[in-house]
Amino acid sequence: MRSPTIVCPNSGSLLQKFKGRPVALRMNSCDHIAEGVEHLRKSGNTLFCVIVESDRPLAEIRLEDHHRGIPLAVLAPAAGRFRDLAAHLHRLRELNLRLYLPCDHPDNLTSLRILSSVGLHCCAVFGKGRIDWESLADLATYAVLERSPHAPIEPFAFIVSNYPASKRLDWGRAIFDDPRHFLHLDEDGRVALSQAELGEKRFIAQSLGEIGAPDEFPPIRERLRSWRHYFSNNHPCAFCAGWKICLGKFSPSLSEHAGCSEFFTEMIDLARRHTALKVAPQEQRIWRL
Amino acid sequence: MANILLTSSGSRSCPDSFARNESSGPNRGQWLSWENLIYIADFLRTSGQRKVSLLGGEPTLHPQCVDFILYLIDRGFNVTVFTNGVLSPSRLEEFRRHLAGLPLEKLDLVCNLKDPVQTPAAPQEMPRLHNFLAVMGPWTQAAFNIYRLDFTLDFLFDHINRFSMKRRLRLGIAHPVPGSQGSFISSQDLRPVAARLYSFRNLFETYRISPRLDCGFPLCKFSDQELGWLSRSGSHSPFGCGPGLHISPDMSISHCLPLSHYKRNSLFEFDSFEEINNHFSQWLDEIREEIPGIYEECDGCRFREGGGCAGGGLCRIIRRFQGEASIKPAGIEDEISNYRMSK
Repeated sequence: MRSPTIVCPNSGSLLQKFKGRPVALRMNSCDHIAEGVEHLRKSGNTLFCVIVESDRPLAEIRLEDHHRGIPLAVLAPAAGRFRDLAAHLHRLRELNLRLYLPCDHPDNLTSLRILSSVGLHCCAVFGKGRIDWESLADLATYAVLERSPHAPIEPFAFIVSNYPASKRLDWGRAIFDDPRHFLHLDEDGRVALSQAELGEKRFIAQSLGEIGAPDEFPPIRERLRSWRHYFSNNHPCAFCAGWKICLGKFSPSLSEHAGCSEFFTEMIDLARRHTALKVAPQEQRIWRL
Repeated sequence: MANILLTSSGSRSCPDSFARNESSGPNRGQWLSWENLIYIADFLRTSGQRKVSLLGGEPTLHPQCVDFILYLIDRGFNVTVFTNGVLSPSRLEEFRRHLAGLPLEKLDLVCNLKDPVQTPAAPQEMPRLHNFLAVMGPWTQAAFNIYRLDFTLDFLFDHINRFSMKRRLRLGIAHPVPGSQGSFISSQDLRPVAARLYSFRNLFETYRISPRLDCGFPLCKFSDQELGWLSRSGSHSPFGCGPGLHISPDMSISHCLPLSHYKRNSLFEFDSFEEINNHFSQWLDEIREEIPGIYEECDGCRFREGGGCAGGGLCRIIRRFQGEASIKPAGIEDEISNYRMSK
């Protein structure tokens, strides 16, 4: 298992506590991107990306030309009005950018489709609110099967590109939520397995130094094997047709998420169709039995 | 070119409106959604189309009209918006802020103007129209729909000069809308219309304004002298009536606005623009097999057979079917029967 990327706040002192790690810098504003990247480079770590968590709509976030070349993940509560975004589209398309919107609001499902259609790589983030699974399935169908050129929409693009017919798939990586690939640090350097757990102050270590080899560190190992509990406990998710790519992500609120099963089953079907479209039949040049 | 109806709602009732069927039918009050707009844009892009027109009702009534225009331009389309120019102050401010700065070739506003004497507007409309033209004049070309024989054009030249509008005048003719009772110019009166239009030649030339004829004018109603003038003026008048894909907010498609009740299908039934063109062309051929044009002499006309003239508008031809004995194209017969039953 390769060393996970460290997702941590933009703090010069925190960055000095470790070296040689890929780092995703978390910040609340675009104003400090350049400064944060400079701190990071001086700290001896490598930049994975900058995560900007804004409480303003995308249309109001100002990303400038000098951000070109910096991998950016911008999380916003909404896209805002297209008319406000339109003037900046040419600049946004030139950035190394992925836009994240919570998909528990119907307007955001529409916004994700708009952003993708104008060539902006984006991602649906599953929040705590109610999800319109049918509309989400429509968006996934657009993302995967639409013939007209458009930018990828995650996690659908990740799922269909990595779909293994005979194995399970954890797509949490697309939203920085997979302890094999990401560990989350707070300002004091304490480690959590996900951004949500960081918010709840559920830490697995007081510092990165405690962890050593990640796949042998008990809390990480336990998390990576946690899917087994669904089978040992005969959880309904273990019998769901969409299990392979859902892995029980919505099990804590299963009653509120009526429709998740149909969605993930459809997602598997989309992945199959995507694979079928991608693999062109090979020309038979040699006659053989 | 594809015509997209943003809404079937209108802000005024015109006696000569082509959209009467659409705005009085089951689609009345519908708005085009973002999802459908994106589908249409994708559909047209993959079909190689680069021009779209936005219509209504009154398209500027759509709450996202400005966003839709900007979106389509961003997707690489040249956008034409057909409007009556009567915009609320807040909508006009949106146009000023977000559209008055776009390249002229990307956005074309076609504003249908009414004769202030013959068809006086409501008192509150004229100031709004003038405010609109004061802001968007350079992006706007004047349009006039001829629906009476004593029409005048002087006021149009005045508007074009006053508001620095595009130096083109789009001239449509009020066609009969099958199944509707609006004003229109009868086929027999098309020659006087052509002659009266030519009588404004000096004004066109003095003001350097080019006349552009809309669909449905028959070639034979213009003299060689009149045709020469149109040609020299850069009119590019097609004398045609081809299928122009017309997409309603509910994603149903039809041949054109006057025929929006006929041969209506869903856009989702087709894979490309070409497929739709073939669908309507086949229908057109079936009809023209029965009745080649709006006049008896269209049958055997060498200009029609050579493609120089379509033999008048299809809406006029279909009108000739109504009241006749049973005819061959079953689709038309069914549509007419349905219409009669619905009446």
